Amino acid sequence: MNEQFRVAQKLGLMFRPETPVPDDIKSWAIKQLHSKSPALGVSSSFSKKIKEWPKNLQPNLEKRDAMFRLYKVNRKKENEGLEGQDTPQAIQINYRKNLMGVTDELKFAHRNVYGNDQVRLRFASFWANHFTMGNIHDNQNEIGHAIDKAILAKLNGNFSQMLYKVTSHPAMLIYLDNIYSIGENSPKAREMRARGEQAGLNDNLGRELLELHTVSPSAKYTEKDIKNAAKVLAGWSLEHHNTIQEEIREAGTANTWDMYKKHYAEPGVKNVMGKIINQGKGGLKEMTDFLASHEHTVMFISSKLAEHFISDNPNASDINYVANAWRQSDGSLDHIHTAVIERAVQSKEPKFQWPMTWLFQVLRLSEASFLNGWDQRFEYSDSLMRNSDIFVELGQGFWHTRQPNGYSSDKNEWISGEMFERRIRFADAIYRKGKPKHKAQGIMDRIGANDATRKLVANAGNQQKQFIALMCSPEIMGLEHA
Amino acid sequence: MPKLNLTRREFLKVSGASLFLAGVPLPGFTKDKPPGTISVIMLEGGMDGLTAVPPFGDPNLMNMRRDLTSTNFLKLNSFFGLHPSFQYFGGLMAKNNASIVHATNFPYQLRSHFEGQNLMQGGGLSPFSETTGWLGRALDLAKTPGRSLSLDMPLLLRGSEKNDNFYPASIKGSGDLMTQLIDTISMAHKDNESETFKKVSKKSTQREVNIPRDPASLAKFAGKAMAQDGGPLASVIKVDQFDTHARQGAEEDGRQGARLVIIDDIMAGLKEGLGDAWDQSIVLTLTEFGRTVAVNGSEGTEHGFGSAGLLAGGAISKSRVISDWPGLAKNEQFEQRDLMSTIDYRSVCAACIEKALGLDHDLIASEVFFTPKLTRVYDLIFS
Repeated sequence: MNEQFRVAQKLGLMFRPETPVPDDIKSWAIKQLHSKSPALGVSSSFSKKIKEWPKNLQPNLEKRDAMFRLYKVNRKKENEGLEGQDTPQAIQINYRKNLMGVTDELKFAHRNVYGNDQVRLRFASFWANHFTMGNIHDNQNEIGHAIDKAILAKLNGNFSQMLYKVTSHPAMLIYLDNIYSIGENSPKAREMRARGEQAGLNDNLGRELLELHTVSPSAKYTEKDIKNAAKVLAGWSLEHHNTIQEEIREAGTANTWDMYKKHYAEPGVKNVMGKIINQGKGGLKEMTDFLASHEHTVMFISSKLAEHFISDNPNASDINYVANAWRQSDGSLDHIHTAVIERAVQSKEPKFQWPMTWLFQVLRLSEASFLNGWDQRFEYSDSLMRNSDIFVELGQGFWHTRQPNGYSSDKNEWISGEMFERRIRFADAIYRKGKPKHKAQGIMDRIGANDATRKLVANAGNQQKQFIALMCSPEIMGLEHA
Repeated sequence: MPKLNLTRREFLKVSGASLFLAGVPLPGFTKDKPPGTISVIMLEGGMDGLTAVPPFGDPNLMNMRRDLTSTNFLKLNSFFGLHPSFQYFGGLMAKNNASIVHATNFPYQLRSHFEGQNLMQGGGLSPFSETTGWLGRALDLAKTPGRSLSLDMPLLLRGSEKNDNFYPASIKGSGDLMTQLIDTISMAHKDNESETFKKVSKKSTQREVNIPRDPASLAKFAGKAMAQDGGPLASVIKVDQFDTHARQGAEEDGRQGARLVIIDDIMAGLKEGLGDAWDQSIVLTLTEFGRTVAVNGSEGTEHGFGSAGLLAGGAISKSRVISDWPGLAKNEQFEQRDLMSTIDYRSVCAACIEKALGLDHDLIASEVFFTPKLTRVYDLIFS
């Protein structure tokens, strides 16, 4: 591939045919970090016009919370057979009107296929995976909001800000059970115990905050550190079973992204890995700031970034380059991401691409209409797969139920007969059903495909087979040296 | 087969859809056949051994875990009970075709899911030290392949490159796989990737029927494949979501209980699929750790240490609960919070390998688990 497409593969999602290809690819990639990031997409798979997603399909957090509370109320009526909520139509309406998972997942796919902010989107995906928020149903209205507002919108700030905003986001508080955690010596716990109810800490988020989101086990923290981190987190809570009025009474706010219930909190200062954290709402920020700049966090995440973007076997100098940018800028994501870009451009080593990244790149290169539009998001069609099924069959998706360590960037985790068969099948389905505008030959000319790829395609057979062969070539899968 | 009521079935259908499942086969393989087959059910998140197999004879159980303990457990003996989710497994115990090992774990004492899962699959001496899995290495030693039925290849089975995974694809609009095209693609790739495409090509000539994705049907499919002449000798099925930090529940419809139903259903599916081959089969569960003895603040449990292992198969001739019970009093707990592990679960795995693959214990101890002095517990299970 020519240098422009090689870099766009590693750091972006490939240039769509209608966008000009820049000469200075490194400067372009760095500038991309600040590109405008509207959610682009199409209203229907037949539509040629790429537009911004309608505002009414992108509700704010308050609306999302209200929808989920209403969903719960309706479910309760459904179970009790009240107010006609148990008819199939009412159940379907409740599901479609009040749940956001299907819509958000389609918006995510659209912006990756149609967006002009490809480098930003790739970094956003890295962080959305680093801060895995698996769909456990009760947080499905919040996951998309967290990716948009706690990650994508925070991409130009400091890592410590992103860490704080993700940790306190309802999508995370629900996913890792912090909403159930109550300080053992809090007024709420005393109240509940007096009534004979269980009340106390839940250390799930505290543990993963240390293990996965920041310092990693290499920092050799103790079980006590985990417990103390959980104590700092106790009080950050919301309850979808409550009405919003009850939440306001308990927390003094309707904003579930800033919901700290003082009487759930553990009183007293806490010691987390030697750092003294004050009691009260400000404790969380003190703790996340401390963890964000910890040397083990810097090294752990710099390695992860290098493995995701620079090469399949990043060397120590790649990792140290990113880590140094981190230290020198005190965690500025712009500086960190720029360092990643510089090294990814410099390194001629290949970088194997995730199934979802590959799919987005194939759709952009070929201009296939493989995704349903937003108006069709609940429709069943004979030809196109439902968007959620696409991700299920890919074996990867940010709205899947999954473990909090997220998807690996190690190519060995993805090389199996089954995963490879799916690449072939998807390329086939995209050719047959997505009616790509561009054939293999045209795409190869545009990206400057290498001789080996051209030879493979020449030997493949008809147009359809050429298309499959190209998309499953080492070059397009990210397996070839530049 | 015990009668399963309808609500239970319906629940399985719903929960099965969100599961990550695994199974077996690599047809066309003939060799000197080892004595049996081995099926592993991997339980991700940390199965609560005290909920699954409640030691009701321990006075501290009810003191500490009343809300997590079923009121409806089956008595196995004067000390241990069985959760009511295990209707089928209970039947196997009654037929002397199943056993339980309790207060056991891999020798991993920290409480990270990911280190624990890596160790229970890798079988190494420390987390992330191995790039192959204990079952993969055992199959290598026995010169037999396995194939895992999930979209990713679990570390557990990695070892031999003949091991492969299989999970039915359902991609609308894709046609029959084209062998010649895939061969062409394979030739354009190098090393491991080339080999992997070759496997796809080989597979494309085998028409797989539509396999439903619920756990029981996958298990049955796995069992059938293993029962064939020249079929695979190992299978892995993965069940997730045992990490019940909140509102764990006590009964069949609770968060742990519902997961236990899935294990039970997999056992039933395997037995049905295996048919007569069940007589030479061993099935075992694997989980990264147990859960805290005490209930946490949100009616759930935190990551712990010791758990229970469930064993089934015709290779077992006498049902029993194998345990050197450590007790549940505070000073008997591991670090005053978890069930202690008094049996190294690697020994249990080694015994199952010895039985199913006919390998010598000393060889397994040193080549599979890198621990020449690993205790042999074969006679405790299979005598």
